[in-house]
Amino acid sequence: MTDATLVRRVLEGDTAAFTTLVDRHAAACTRFATRMLGNREDAEDAVQEAFLRAYRSLARYEERQAFRTWLFQILVNRCRTAAVRRQRRQRMFLVDDSAVAAASVRPAVDASDLRTELRRAIDALDPEQREAFLLKHVELMSYDEMADATGVGVSALKMRVKRACDRMQWLLREVSDVGT
Amino acid sequence: MSEPDNPRWLDDVGDELRREIPVRAAWRAQLLDQVASARRPSLDDEISDFPPEPLHRAPGRRIVLSPLAGIAAALTFAAVGAGAAFLVLSSRSAGGDRNIAGASASPSTTTGTAVVSSSASAERETVRFELAAPTASHVALVGSFNEWNPVATPLQRDPSTGTWIVSLRLPPGRHVYAFVVDGDVTADPAAPRAADDDFGSANSVVLVSGRTS
Repeated sequence: MTDATLVRRVLEGDTAAFTTLVDRHAAACTRFATRMLGNREDAEDAVQEAFLRAYRSLARYEERQAFRTWLFQILVNRCRTAAVRRQRRQRMFLVDDSAVAAASVRPAVDASDLRTELRRAIDALDPEQREAFLLKHVELMSYDEMADATGVGVSALKMRVKRACDRMQWLLREVSDVGT
Repeated sequence: MSEPDNPRWLDDVGDELRREIPVRAAWRAQLLDQVASARRPSLDDEISDFPPEPLHRAPGRRIVLSPLAGIAAALTFAAVGAGAAFLVLSSRSAGGDRNIAGASASPSTTTGTAVVSSSASAERETVRFELAAPTASHVALVGSFNEWNPVATPLQRDPSTGTWIVSLRLPPGRHVYAFVVDGDVTADPAAPRAADDDFGSANSVVLVSGRTS
């Protein structure tokens, strides 16, 4: 059963159909929000808010758009809001190239080290670059889908993805054979 | 998953980041409970009943006017705006910048201000935002003019004073904004405050008249 069919069923009164939508998309949403926000707790809050907002505004969903893209439009906004609302110092707002460079030169030799370095590199990206990179290379969206989800033009998104890739490659250049 | 045009390192990174993060059963149950207690959506819902989730704009009120009322409102707004601009500009000192917030920056504390330059075009004016935050590592400006994007408008630090500065060309009107200081959203301490934004933090207001000098 397609997402659009499930949405129709919810709107016709079968609220249990929304559970299927949650089960289909919660993992990807949690993955994106966790990578965006840097921790599981904030991510779960953002995803929960996104699903609730999606549920309450389900009548606005139009089938010409993929449900996942529509849901990510809400989620992207929730993540941006969560970042702005944060009242404590967040490392992802710091853009300190020298600190990042110093942190990235430690050699990594196994998978767990690679994951640590990868997390550090992702967190070191500017939020808008991180957002574009994750949607493109992790969620595998097309640029048109990304434009729908973010409200940003395709050209700007391509530039953000390119800059994110360049920066990731530089940050990871010393880690194992990644970035070579 | 690899894509034909991607270098191998990028595919490796994508594969690693694509590893699934398991959904916690307790979290799922809580979400479904909240869904069950929420008002059930239906095809009969008013389309405007719930915001369509615009991409991070500050919440605001939508006012719907009939065409005639819209024209009347536009004329009234133009008249009031012209009068206000005249009053504002008549109080401006000749040739200098106008300090909207009315406070000067102090190097020892976190203070800020928004200054509208007199060298503006008829449509937009240059507004200089300043925040004295000598110990801050990163300061950005968020506001209604950049969709509250915390990375769109970083301020540059003047090392001699510890003041963070950025200039923007803004259209005439009322602009709500705040600073993001090392991740903390803070109102401009030297500017008028906006009404609570429902985000749990206060915002500031700068008015741009749009008149050339």
